[in-house]
Amino acid sequence: MNAIIGFGFVTLGLAASVLGAAGGTYALLTGRLYLLRTVRQWVWLILLAAVGAFTVMEVALFQRDYEIAFVSQVGSDSTPPLFNFAALWSALEGSLLLWTLVLSGYLAAMMVKFRHRRNDELLGWALVVMLVITTFFFALMVGPANPFVTTEVEPGFTGPGPNPLLQNHILVAFHPPMLYLGYVGFSVPFAFAVAALITGRLGEGWLVETRRWTVAAWGFLTAGIILGAWWSYEVLGWGGYWAWDPVENASILPWLTGTAYIHSVMVQERRGMLRVWNLSLVCATFCLTILGTFLTRSGVVESVHAFSDGPVGPWLLTFFGLSAGATVLLIGWRGDQLRSTGLIDAPASREASFLANNLLFGAMAFVILLGTVFPLLAEAWDGSRLTIGSPYFDSMARPIGLALLFLMAIAPVLPWRKASTEVLSVRLFWPAVIGVVSMALALLLGGRGIYPVITFGLGGFAAGAAARQVVLATRRQGWRGLVGRTNGGMIVHLGVVALAVGLAASESYKSDRTVQLAVGETATVEGHEFRYLEPGADINDRRLRTFALIEIDGDDVYAPATTNYRQVGMIVPTPSVRTGFTEDVYLVLDEVPEPGSDRIRLRVIIRPMVAWIWGGGFLMAVGTVLALFPGRRRRGTEPVSAALPDGGSTSSEPAEPEATPDLDRLEPVPAGGRAPLEDWAGAADDDVSAPVGGGDG
Amino acid sequence: MPARVRVLGWVAVIAASLSLSVVAAFDDGGAETDAERIERLSDSFACPECRGQSVAESNAAVAATIRQFIADSVTDGATDTEIRDQLVASYEARVLLNPPADGFASLIWVLPVVLVVLGAVGVGAAITGNRGRDRQVSDEDIELLARARSRSGGDHS
Repeated sequence: MNAIIGFGFVTLGLAASVLGAAGGTYALLTGRLYLLRTVRQWVWLILLAAVGAFTVMEVALFQRDYEIAFVSQVGSDSTPPLFNFAALWSALEGSLLLWTLVLSGYLAAMMVKFRHRRNDELLGWALVVMLVITTFFFALMVGPANPFVTTEVEPGFTGPGPNPLLQNHILVAFHPPMLYLGYVGFSVPFAFAVAALITGRLGEGWLVETRRWTVAAWGFLTAGIILGAWWSYEVLGWGGYWAWDPVENASILPWLTGTAYIHSVMVQERRGMLRVWNLSLVCATFCLTILGTFLTRSGVVESVHAFSDGPVGPWLLTFFGLSAGATVLLIGWRGDQLRSTGLIDAPASREASFLANNLLFGAMAFVILLGTVFPLLAEAWDGSRLTIGSPYFDSMARPIGLALLFLMAIAPVLPWRKASTEVLSVRLFWPAVIGVVSMALALLLGGRGIYPVITFGLGGFAAGAAARQVVLATRRQGWRGLVGRTNGGMIVHLGVVALAVGLAASESYKSDRTVQLAVGETATVEGHEFRYLEPGADINDRRLRTFALIEIDGDDVYAPATTNYRQVGMIVPTPSVRTGFTEDVYLVLDEVPEPGSDRIRLRVIIRPMVAWIWGGGFLMAVGTVLALFPGRRRRGTEPVSAALPDGGSTSSEPAEPEATPDLDRLEPVPAGGRAPLEDWAGAADDDVSAPVGGGDG
Repeated sequence: MPARVRVLGWVAVIAASLSLSVVAAFDDGGAETDAERIERLSDSFACPECRGQSVAESNAAVAATIRQFIADSVTDGATDTEIRDQLVASYEARVLLNPPADGFASLIWVLPVVLVVLGAVGVGAAITGNRGRDRQVSDEDIELLARARSRSGGDHS
């Protein structure tokens, strides 16, 4: 019964998507824009179908409806409710249900948000693009990856439950939905970008429309990736959080291009430049989410946590090829309208720093993509089997990361258009002092090695620059100095610094020892004492957990374990971690303790400052939320041109707001003499980059 | 802060950061112990059956075997190269986490460098190519600015 209803919903979703996309396209091509109103009904039906299909599958999981093949693969009588709920996204077909649910949610939200502009062509095309995407995903579920296929099970079948690694930590319930909210969220700016290309309304309007959507998707993706790293750290038992595994790489790729985009988009909003580049970044971000899904779901690149592979590979690859090809053609077709209206004046300017930022993020994305697919290329070339592992990625990512930190210190204080040495030397002095103090502090505390110490120095420098902006903004605007894109962005930068410092410290100063202990014995590792108190076990019908009670420094007791999931017959190590502000002590049993033996092999991993990574991620999430709130509105009467040479200058220090209110952030008129946003006057409703120049409409 | 003090301040900042970097780079905290060496080597070899994980990360049996082999070899005084060659002889090139720098595989090192150089040249050209071009301020612009200034109370001068 569940199977029939579920498949009914999926089919409904496909039909509504096809009809909506076809109806919308017809209305737009024939110019009968009033017909666009009908798209509305199809969108509601799609949302209904996605929610319905998702709900039916959850109900089936809770009813232990093993007639559905998917439930018989990932469900079991003994899975606790939370993990049973999360079992939906523990394998391919269910993940598609979650993906479609999120996608339909975004689609419906888009329609509600822009309900007053129902006859707008740009919006119409954006909806059509979204509908084409929903068509593809519903088609996957109707065809090759149908979640509601039925099967026969023997009476008394109790199910294996999800993969053991996906049923022993609460983060499993949060990491995938967050990640999907991020991945799928980038469909919205993509849809608007394609719509802008189709309609030829290539001004900055579509950027302004999708700004918050992009930032929100970026925030979800960031949170999803960091929660994933945390899950990996707490569950997988190797003492690390990032292994440059293909699945991880697939999630970081769109994050990198997305991050590049949310920076370079500011150049376009301000100066009308980089149009082709920004469109390419938006489209690349979307295409990379599809490519990433292909790489990890098709089994073409093997990965330790590709939890499922299925017959969807060729479909995803085709969809990726079509999306990429279509956007390249569209950009080529509109090429003549995409010429920039402004010019970059000087290497020391905000816009030039954003270009450098994009170069670095682009290089990082390229390196990671290359490293991920290179084993495939090598095998195709001469049949050689290579492993591209962390040393390669680390050696490439480190210099790029350091360059980014340096840029993060400099760029926020750079004015638009042109900076003088004078301005830089004033604004950067205290941040630089903070950087040097951080280096000295690191050396005093025993830190050595050129990479980590320089990371701490540049981290302090960047944190100083970000903190300076936040302090100036709050001094000038009170609590409003914490909200808005610029100020929220600086909070995100502080989070990035904490994360970078945590990464450098925990990678560089890790120690990893394996000790043999008998009951009552004590071992000393890096100044900590580990005493083996006693073994223990607990058993239920789901699992058999064998643990060892270890007392650290005569104080707290921790219980690293190995857990045997009985339905699957798989034994996984379950680490136990003492988390601290300065240091984590990570205990994991290196082998299953022999029954009756009083000896264990205990692996002790000590990593400093791991908690800074999670803290940094939290700060990034907080900053993203702050960035979503409207910031200070600019009065329409403020001048938008750069001041005349004899008056103030573009480089005035915003520390004296009474005299020169923030001149360096005022909007310059692009060289062509026309303001950006000419075709979208008054569209922005929020922060400092509101288009005053076009504000006469 | 007076300009001269600031210049001195910058000199101090740059000198301090350079000397601290030198200390950080060359004071490596004593010679590498055997345990540290085992750890470093275990991080640098791939577990041949674990799809990209290093032998330090993996819980697989073959990883444990290789870890043990590394530990024994280090205790016996084998050099890094000897250990590497022995492992490659037993498990082929896929036991190396770092791809070799010859033949087709060298592309993985060359391509990113080429790309970054090209990108940097492109960005550089985009910036410098526009410099020195005359930017005329028309009378109309000046008038607009004057009007805007007088409207907002003239506090922007």
